Amino acid sequence: MNNKQITPDAKGNFSKQIGRYKVEVIREKCIGAASCVAIAPKVFELDEEQIAIILSQDGEDDQTKLLAAQSCPTAAIVVTDTQTGKQVWPLE
Amino acid sequence: MTLTTPHQYKARLADKLIHNAKFEQYNFELVEPNQLKFAAGQYGSFLISDQGHRRSWSICSSPAIDHSLEILIDPAPKGAGTQFLQNLKLGDEVQLLAPLGKFTIDESGAEKALVFVATGAGITPFRSMILDLLQVKKDTRPMILHWGLRYVEEMIWQNEFQELAENFPNFQFHPVISKASQEWSMCRGRVTDCLNVHQLLDHAGYYLCGSEQMIADVIQLLSAKGVAPARIHREKFY
Repeated sequence: MNNKQITPDAKGNFSKQIGRYKVEVIREKCIGAASCVAIAPKVFELDEEQIAIILSQDGEDDQTKLLAAQSCPTAAIVVTDTQTGKQVWPLE
Repeated sequence: MTLTTPHQYKARLADKLIHNAKFEQYNFELVEPNQLKFAAGQYGSFLISDQGHRRSWSICSSPAIDHSLEILIDPAPKGAGTQFLQNLKLGDEVQLLAPLGKFTIDESGAEKALVFVATGAGITPFRSMILDLLQVKKDTRPMILHWGLRYVEEMIWQNEFQELAENFPNFQFHPVISKASQEWSMCRGRVTDCLNVHQLLDHAGYYLCGSEQMIADVIQLLSAKGVAPARIHREKFY
């Protein structure tokens, strides 16, 4: 099974996606606590408004991305399994 | 501050202190790894369910104690995190990710005084900061802690803060009680009332942690008095 996909990042650049999980930040929920940045610095960064944005889907494995989402104090990160289309986090 | 990489820790509940109906304090002894280096003001993310749910709690102990950590909660919301902690027995093991967060003291040297403003459990990061600044770093800058509570009976750590104020002349403790009895001789009302009657310290940094309303009110007050936004720091959850 090929787990690699080509997806655009926040800046519109295309990059290889490693693993199955895709992360998204719900901007309205983000308070800039930066736990995601500390856990997965190759996936998340804070923009000039101190809100998390996706730097790249590449660079961290699925478990690290999931941990970053689970550690967000406001549940502002949604994780989707790109193979099944199901939301992995937050639990529905 | 530069964010340090957090690590997964296993820790055991070593002590549980039910101060009153408002505050519960939990002490965890680190098991593996057995040493945690953190900056005062940072927090840990605790795993509270097998499904991966986590809760974040600020560390209230001093960074000088690196083999354990303490957290303080207000159990009133009775959420999943509170229930998780209350169900723990002494010796039970927990998993946490730490250190996290960037609500720490500005290290640029631009702030010539420090003012801490808390309501309720928002005191948590400030206890760690104040212990660290006074006892470990021997920081001699003027510091004031304004801590707002509803009732005198809710007050904890009062002796500790008052002892610090006696031993470190640069530190002042201003508890503020909104529903104080006649006997209460210190500040009454809201923390904004207390801030308003005291003269602002020159070139101070302001650190806020507590209710959204308090933070909004204090920011409005400080802005009206000409404090630059860069001098106002706030923890966005508590």
